[in-house]
Amino acid sequence: MSKRVTRIDELARDIPPARDLWPGISAAIEAERAAAAPAQSRRRSFWMPAAGLAASVLLVAVGVFIGKATTQQRQQVTAGTDRPGVETGAEIAVVPAHYQRDAEYRKQRKELLQEVNARLQTMPPADRAKVSASLETLRKSIDEIEAALGHDPANALLQELLVSSCQEEMRALTAVRDSGREEI
Amino acid sequence: MTQPDTVVNFDVALIERARRGDQKAFERLYREHVGRVNGLCLRMTRNPDLAADCVQDAFIKAWKALPKFEARASFSTWLHRIAVNTVLEKRRGSANNEVAVEDPTEYEEPTMVLDTPVEEEELEAAIASLPQGARDALVLCGVYGYEHSEAASMLGIAVGTCKAQLHRARGLLKERLERGVR
Repeated sequence: MSKRVTRIDELARDIPPARDLWPGISAAIEAERAAAAPAQSRRRSFWMPAAGLAASVLLVAVGVFIGKATTQQRQQVTAGTDRPGVETGAEIAVVPAHYQRDAEYRKQRKELLQEVNARLQTMPPADRAKVSASLETLRKSIDEIEAALGHDPANALLQELLVSSCQEEMRALTAVRDSGREEI
Repeated sequence: MTQPDTVVNFDVALIERARRGDQKAFERLYREHVGRVNGLCLRMTRNPDLAADCVQDAFIKAWKALPKFEARASFSTWLHRIAVNTVLEKRRGSANNEVAVEDPTEYEEPTMVLDTPVEEEELEAAIASLPQGARDALVLCGVYGYEHSEAASMLGIAVGTCKAQLHRARGLLKERLERGVR
């Protein structure tokens, strides 16, 4: 039984459809997205290295901050207890302490740097400046971690941070090198 | 805009997410607005299947056009405009157009008060029996509360034509309700 009305605008504005139309809409959206995907991925490929670098820089910067804070905290604790900053053997063994000095790593990095430098020369000046600055920031972060490790060589957190930062740098260098290949 | 019960604030966050490609957010917008869009399409087409097609097409078009949507505008009005366009396109496809009436000089108040209370169903049937142009104007101005200028813009007609169609709709509706159209 429908209600009685005295004005046109008292009629219900909402009348749900007899069936759910969302599956059809969703399928059409997916199809449209799939059709648009190749063009988008081609556009994205040029910016992917830069975005990756930015993320890496942020990660390393946060890591350096945590590393410094932890180092200071430990120094305060050891000073309070009159004990030298001795770490247990288990903590030291968690990560390879001299990852950055590994000969194979150095060789790979050197080769990669040559390729990256060649790639940078082919980039537009503005892009080259941005990528170079990002790589420089990454390298500075690694240098800072190494310097901090010089004061606290057994710091497991710093060691771990150094390893992950070096890995991040290698990933970033690889991404820059491969960016030219993706665009072709 | 004359639609008082549009939940604009709630929509803003969902629209922003949908604009960034969040399909879940768009689904929520769909769930919130589908009833009203379907009501509009159903009254304009008088055919539930055709109305459903229009609703579906309208939401797909809305998804594609979301990047162009200006956040300051009413999402509901924007969506209705797309839905009305879709209905008009379907009509053009089926070559079911009607000749517009002459522009009147008098002003028509969009809100319509009936002489005596009538059953909703009876009123819906009377609206459905109206000629296309008159029905469109009555649905947009009378039922959905749009101003003549907004309705005319949606329908792609002159404001005067919209007023004329509404005037015609009122006369025909009164006549048919008195006659007891079912």
